[in-house]
This record gives sequence, C-alpha cells and structure tokens, in this order.
Amino acid sequence: MSTPDAFAQAGKTAVLQNIHGSMEFLRKYAPFNQMETAHLAYLVENCELRFYAEGDCIISPDDGVVQHFFIVKQGRVHGLRPHTAKRGTDTTFEVIVGECFPMAALMGERATRTAHLAAEDTFCFLLNKPAFVKLVSISTAFRDFAMRGVSSLLDLVNQQAQMRAVESLGEHYSLETRIGELALHHPVSCLPSRPLDEAVGLMQEQNVGSIVIVDELLHPQGIFTLRDLRRVIGSGTTDLAAPIGQFMTHDPFHLPPDATAFDAAIAMTERHIAHVCVVENGLLCGVISERDLFSLQRVDLVHLAQTIRHADGVDALVVIRSRIRQLVDNMLAHGASSTQITHIVTLLNDHTVSRVIELALADMGDPGVPFTWLCFGSEGRREQTLHTDQDNGMLFEAADAAEAAHIRGRLLPLAERINRDLDTCGFTLCKGNIMASNPQLCLSRQEWNRRFSSFIREATPENLLSSTIYFDLRAIWGSSEGCEQLRQSLLEEIADNSLFQRMMADNALRHRPPVGRFRDFVVARKGDGKDTLDLKVQGLTPFVDGARLLALSNGIGACNTLERLRQLVEKNVIEQKDGAAYEEAYHFIQQTRMQHHQQQARDGQPYSNRLDPDSLNHLDRRILRESFRQAQRLQSSLALRYQL
Amino acid sequence: MNMAWFKSRGPSLELEQLQRRDQLLAPAPLNACPLTEQRMVVLDLETSGLDTRRDVVLSIGAVVIDHGGIDLGNQFERTLLRPDQKLSSSVLIHGISPSELEAGSDPVEALLDFMEFVGDSPILAFHAGFDQRMLARALKESLGYKLRHPFIDVAELAPMLCPDNRPRHSGLDDWTAHFGLQILQRHHASADALITAELALMLFSRARRQGVADLAALTLRLNNWRKRQQARML
Repeated sequence: MSTPDAFAQAGKTAVLQNIHGSMEFLRKYAPFNQMETAHLAYLVENCELRFYAEGDCIISPDDGVVQHFFIVKQGRVHGLRPHTAKRGTDTTFEVIVGECFPMAALMGERATRTAHLAAEDTFCFLLNKPAFVKLVSISTAFRDFAMRGVSSLLDLVNQQAQMRAVESLGEHYSLETRIGELALHHPVSCLPSRPLDEAVGLMQEQNVGSIVIVDELLHPQGIFTLRDLRRVIGSGTTDLAAPIGQFMTHDPFHLPPDATAFDAAIAMTERHIAHVCVVENGLLCGVISERDLFSLQRVDLVHLAQTIRHADGVDALVVIRSRIRQLVDNMLAHGASSTQITHIVTLLNDHTVSRVIELALADMGDPGVPFTWLCFGSEGRREQTLHTDQDNGMLFEAADAAEAAHIRGRLLPLAERINRDLDTCGFTLCKGNIMASNPQLCLSRQEWNRRFSSFIREATPENLLSSTIYFDLRAIWGSSEGCEQLRQSLLEEIADNSLFQRMMADNALRHRPPVGRFRDFVVARKGDGKDTLDLKVQGLTPFVDGARLLALSNGIGACNTLERLRQLVEKNVIEQKDGAAYEEAYHFIQQTRMQHHQQQARDGQPYSNRLDPDSLNHLDRRILRESFRQAQRLQSSLALRYQL
Repeated sequence: MNMAWFKSRGPSLELEQLQRRDQLLAPAPLNACPLTEQRMVVLDLETSGLDTRRDVVLSIGAVVIDHGGIDLGNQFERTLLRPDQKLSSSVLIHGISPSELEAGSDPVEALLDFMEFVGDSPILAFHAGFDQRMLARALKESLGYKLRHPFIDVAELAPMLCPDNRPRHSGLDDWTAHFGLQILQRHHASADALITAELALMLFSRARRQGVADLAALTLRLNNWRKRQQARML
C-alpha cells in the first residue's frame, strides 16, 4: 500500500522539526514575522529548497513568466543587466538572506527583466506560484508586502521609473497637482482697449484680484492686478476711461497646464507675484492666484516668503524663521519629496539672507560700492536642509590691488554685521571661517580668479577640499554677472587641467558608501556612532562629489547635484538610465536624512546625520541599501573613467 | 547465530503488514535517470548507541531530493516505540527522552511507512555505512525484509568532490561549518537529514560541473576514489 495517502500522512506527522525550524528562520525577517503561524506553516510546507553555486543563473528573462517566489535562505543573489558600455554586465541590486525576489515580475505575471544570479553559494526557498497566490489571498501581512514590494526601489531602479514609494503617502495633499486642474477655467479677461474703470468693474463683478488682457485670439498681452490698481491710483491717474492697455504689466508670467502647484508656488515666491497665467499653445486657458493655492491649503510658502521680505528687523526674521521648520515638518508629514523641501528651504533661506543684507544696509548705510553676496557649498548647490551653517563670501569689481584693498576696507564691517545677523537667524557661524567677514573671502573678481586658479594648479589636499566647497558657488544678492564670469573662467581652467580632474576624482572616492560584500550595511564598530552610518558623508557626498567633478570637467555651470546629473545626461556624459538611478538614490538618501532629522527634532535630540539602519523598516532599509549601492556604482564608474 | 532461536523470535506480522511488506518496491538502477532529475532519500537515524549489532534505531528522519531540490512538504520523521530502552549515556547525544520513546510509533508500522516513503529511490546518508547496517538489521528483525537499496555516503562524496579545501576533520559538523550551513538542531534525525541533504545539493552541483551524469557514474567514481585512498594508506 505504497499510496500517496501514506506519504501525505507521513508528511503530516513529519512536519514538525524541519518545518518548525524553517519557520523560526523566516520569523527573523519581514514580512514573515508579521504572518500568522498557520499561514507561515503553509508557506514553508509548499516550499522547495534549492542550491545555486556561485555564478549559477537562478532566474532570467528567458525563463518566461515567473513560476516561483524565491526567499534567500543563505548566500547572496544579485541582479545583472547588460551594461551598454564596454564592461559587459552591471550589478543593479542585491538580495540577501531573508529577502525575496522577483516580486514585481511575480505580481505582474511576467518574466523578470533582470537576470538573477547567485553571487556566492546560495540556498533559496522556492514557493510555487499557486501557493504564492493563495498566500496573497489569505494573509494580509503577506499581501501588503507583495503589493508594496512592487513599488520598491529595486523594481524601479530596473524600470528607471520615478520613485513613488515615499511620495505616494499623501496623494490628496499634493504639490504635484497640475495647475490645469486648479486654475480658474474661465479667466476674467478683456481687450487692451477696454477702459480702465470698466475693467476694474469686471474684476469687482467676478470678485477676482486680476484681469488678463488678451487680443481677439486670446493671446495674453498683459495682466492687471489689484496691486497695479493701487499703483495707478497712487500715482494720481485721473483718466479712468483710458484704455487698460496703458496700465497693464506686459508679458505676464505664465506656465503650461501641466506645471504643478509646486511650480506655481515657487514662481510666485521667486518673482514676487500673486498671479500666474496658465497658457497652452500661446492661448490663455486659466489664471492661478496665490489665493487659489491658499484656499487649497497647500503651503503658506508664498506668504512666508513675503513676510520674510518685509520683515522690519532681525528679531522679526527670527520669529518668522521658526515657522519654516513647521512648514517643512508639515510638508514632510504630507509626503513632500526631499527635492521640493530642499528647494523651498533654499528659497526661504535666500530670502532671509537678502533681507538681512537689506536691513544691514539700511542700518549701517550703503557702503557706496556695488557688491555681490556669494554662497558656497550646500547653499551654493541649493541643497540646504534646516540645519545649516554659513558658507559665504563677497565679490566686487576693482581696477587694481590698491583699489581692491580700499573697497575691502569699506565692505568688511558690513560683512561682519551680516554674518552676525545671519547667525542670530539660525545660520550657524562657519567653524572653518568660510564667511564674508574673513578678509580672504571678501575679494575682487580678479582676486577670486587668482584664488580659484591656485586651487586648480596646486592640488594640495587642502586646496582639493576647498574646491569642493568654493566651486559650488552662487550669487544670492547683488549682480550675478561677476559670479558668472568667475564661473566661466573656472570651467575653462578645469577643462584644460586633466591632472586636477584626476585629483578631484581621487578625492571623490574618499567616502565609500557603507555597503559591504557580505553584510548589508557596514556600520561604525565603535565610538559614539557605534552601529550607525553617516547618511550625509557616506551616502550623499559620493553623489555630490561625483556630479561636481563630472560637471566641472564637462563645462557644466549648474551647481545643484540633480541639475548637474540631468545636464550630464543631456551631454551624454553619463547614460540616461544611470542618471535616473543616481537621481532616485540621491533623492531617497536625502529623504531618509530629513525624516531622521525630523524625528530627532521631535525627540529633542541634536541634529545628526548618523542613522542606525536597524531602526528602519524592512523596505526602507532595503531601498536605502540599494541607494548606497548606486553611490558605489557611480564611484566605480569614476574610478574607471579616471583610471584610479 | 542460533537460527532456531532467531526464527522463534522472528517477526510476527499481521496480514495487512505482510501485504504491505511484500508490495515494497525493489530499488531502481542508478543509471535510470540523470542526476538533475533523480529522486533520492536522505536519511538520518538516531540510535541507542554505536554498536550496529546491539543498539537499536530510535528515530528516523528523512527528506527527499527530487529534481534537484528538497521538497519541504514531503519529509519523514518518526520516533519508534522502544518501551524497554534503558536510559543510557547516549540519551545525552540523541536527546530523545524515554517518555518520547514510549509515545513513539510501533516499529513495524514506522519501518513500513518509511520503506514506502523510500520507494525505489537510492538512499543518501552521512557515514552511510552505519545507517545502512542499522536500518538493514531493524528491517530484518522487525519485518523480515532484506534491504537492498543502494546507499551513497555523503561523507565520502564530500572529500572526493572537494579535494582541495577539505576541513581537517570530516564529521558532519565539520563539513557543515565548512560550507557555512546553518543547522537547526544537531542530533535530531530530521534536522540532520536536512543538513545532509543541503550538503548533498552542494556536492551534486559540483559533481555536475565535473561532468558526472548520473548516480551510477558517481558511485563508479566513488569506488575508484576509495581504492586510491586505500592504496595511499598502504
């Protein structure tokens, strides 16, 4: 009676030891630790254990629709995609003990897009597809994992699609809403010949703050707002029957309907305007006002920016700036992306700096010399977070050394005052004295040029370090012309100096991303930062350094890391796929860092960039690891490019 | 051995048990199918001691390697009813308490179940000679059945297939540690069988790379290797 029944019976009573053992093993990992015992037992009972020697292909695109769900029991699996450059293949991700694959393909009932190979001798549990499907239907924990897993970076890195895993949190509150959906669809408009009083009457009737002046074909010609009305009346115009064309602001700022609420808010903040026309194919199709953004309770960003610009003293600025933290908190809580937040923080910081300068000028009197306020480092790259210190300098024009010294003498007291006031506003004084009040950083354009040239020609470690700060420069206040000329000669000089490029590349490899070969993260072994890794130095710096090097060497003037990456892709210096993967990875590390800071603020702890990866949930931890791996890839591509 | 005494003490089986015994499959030839598809039973016995003539089988653990994988849903685990088993020092090794043995299955039923589980497949074990002798005696005594299934010794396969970096000692623990395998509970028949099966999967992977097509070819190599080893000893 050697029947299957007897086998099944034997199986039933036999499950105990090894099934139990495998369940205990899986319980150490998400999502298995959240699954009910019966479901987990079902999973293990339907698993097969297989071995793959190092280099064996476990599953590949040629295998067709995926038939198994794999869990790594021992060893390491990596995904390889053919590399378009010469190097053959390229590791895109790694799967380690307790992790699963290929979730997206399995859920999508398709073949994998990437070959999965054993990176070392590996054992995997293979769950057959019918059992997988059943588990998805009976186990909530497993289902959640399967669904969320699809949107993990792992898959997105492969698809090169935009990362939504974090952003999807707050769909209803989104700065990503198209302004086409927000804008007033029948904007109040009139011809330029319309008398002023009639036009204002129209505004009154429709209860709006602006009227767009269009030609017969609805091409916008200008805009007239309540602010313009105040100006008109204030300047004593009496002829209210004059055509409105005489009073309107010409060529009003406009955005396409696909632009986002965020774009509109930024434009209003940057340009000090309260209305943005929505224009498609040259035709007016809507108007979006500051009030529209308010009424949707999006951000009081515009308002905040205006309050900063009108603050009547440093004390008032301090009060206003405490609200920036609230704003950022709110935005983070509602799923805004790190890019949006750094953008806003930078914007508001710029406004604050400008206001501090204006207030200092008003108080101390104009020195009578035009100057440009420069910023460096993260501020120069527009990548500031809330906790930031000052990196700034002054630039002015002078005919010769004597005149430069003379002007410097007049500017330094002002610079000192500005540095001090900025400190009061929360921009900590720079420990390295990279501040405009340092006479070595209050220079004429020629002097700056000479200083930068010396960094490039004499590539001492100190100069290399300086170049990583000073070469990310930007004008915040005053004419930006001098700053751009300075940047141009800088780019020319670097393009001609391959030795300097190579030294910078070497420098860009200083900070190795904390991912190891055998363990997932490499954390500090001892000291204060025991068991933690540094998100900024080990995670962001490799991207920032790499993008700077490639941008400067290829004549790209942009300073923002993401902007640099985009332009590098446009110039075919890096591949589009790589650029997108770097961008996502950078973005995610920055996001993690901000959330970490936010948590520290809530816990009343000082800001730190050190994070214990074990404090993250399984998915975030995994995405973070993949992000670090992208940093590693960028570094190895630099090593290859510069033959280091 | 006193045959008259043996016969009088010979197994007395019920009719159904006799039918089951007579229907047990004969072992299939080892060259019947390629290594990648071969079904094999990986066995581990816990016994009352190391004397193959006096000690008895206390528990049987087995897993199946089929088509190159271990099916976790198809395992064999049985503790045998041994009411008269004295508490001896070996309990410290196998860890099976007298109470567990008292709650075990009737050895006749357990052995029949096991041989039905085995079917016509070859059997793998670590230090297979010991398990083979213990199992053969148990089958003889309890069922009057002669075990003819081929045994393959994983403890021999390992050094043959990995001659370069074998561990200094060659116990299951040494090889387990050598390959970084994680064992759930050592000296438990099922857990030992599973770890032996994992070891076997790694070794078969090497064997395939070395061009070994089926178990017949593997046993042939094993015989030659054994002779060379003995020649070296002389």
